[in-house]
Amino acid sequence: MHSRLSLSIGLGILAASLAAVPASAHHGWAGNLDEEFELTGTVERGVSLAGPHATMQIRAQGKVWDLTLAPPARTERAGLKEGIIPVGATVTIHGHRNRDANRFEVKTERVTWNGRTFDVYPDRK
Amino acid sequence: MVWLQRSTLGHAMRESGVWTYGVVNLFHILGVATLFGSVLVLDLRLLGVWRHVALPAISKPTVPLAATGFAIAAASGVCLLATKATEYIGNPFLYIKFPAIGLGLLNVAVLSRLPAWRQQANRDLSPREQARLRVFGGISLACWLTAISAGRMIGYW
Repeated sequence: MHSRLSLSIGLGILAASLAAVPASAHHGWAGNLDEEFELTGTVERGVSLAGPHATMQIRAQGKVWDLTLAPPARTERAGLKEGIIPVGATVTIHGHRNRDANRFEVKTERVTWNGRTFDVYPDRK
Repeated sequence: MVWLQRSTLGHAMRESGVWTYGVVNLFHILGVATLFGSVLVLDLRLLGVWRHVALPAISKPTVPLAATGFAIAAASGVCLLATKATEYIGNPFLYIKFPAIGLGLLNVAVLSRLPAWRQQANRDLSPREQARLRVFGGISLACWLTAISAGRMIGYW
């Protein structure tokens, strides 16, 4: 009887802690606006294929923007390898801006440079 | 954090191929799974489940497994953190996770010095001693569940 009570308490703690996980916090896009966002600027820091997501920085509208790309292997498969786009080059990026207006970060789906488009999330429009 | 990111470890994590982070992350998950799987069984026993099974029969396999899992999780965790350490500054889940781990380790340190714990293989424990161990089991479960939940949420902040 007593051990059954303890088991229920243990499972209760487990369930409560899992339920405490905010439902909105699913994969990374929840923190970004739904509307499509496009930006043209110059490369400040070239592509880095470090995990968990590849990144690069561009300068546009007088700000430095952090671009969050796909995971490293996927970004590389899209042809966007380190060093391909030189620093200072003009690029146009397409994605979703951070919900926080004070954060200049874009989850980036496509990068266009020199007539080439690197589509790191081909299944997203 | 800046120091960690600029360390040799940080460079190695960033510059050794597109699968490095994923593989290290795999080890982190295996470590956490080993740690929490063992801890869950032991803590539930301390809380009073499976009382017909002698405590040493459960603590003997679970304690070293939990320690091994913790070592793997901690080592891989430092590597993951070093990759982009400065990005985690201000991430509230980090400030929940690490104190929870600290408290969990403190709980183990105190528990392992308790007469009730040290005598478990030599004699039957009194109801009072069992009640004391139950408290430690409960705190342990709460600490590790908090650490894992907060840890999982770090990437979604």
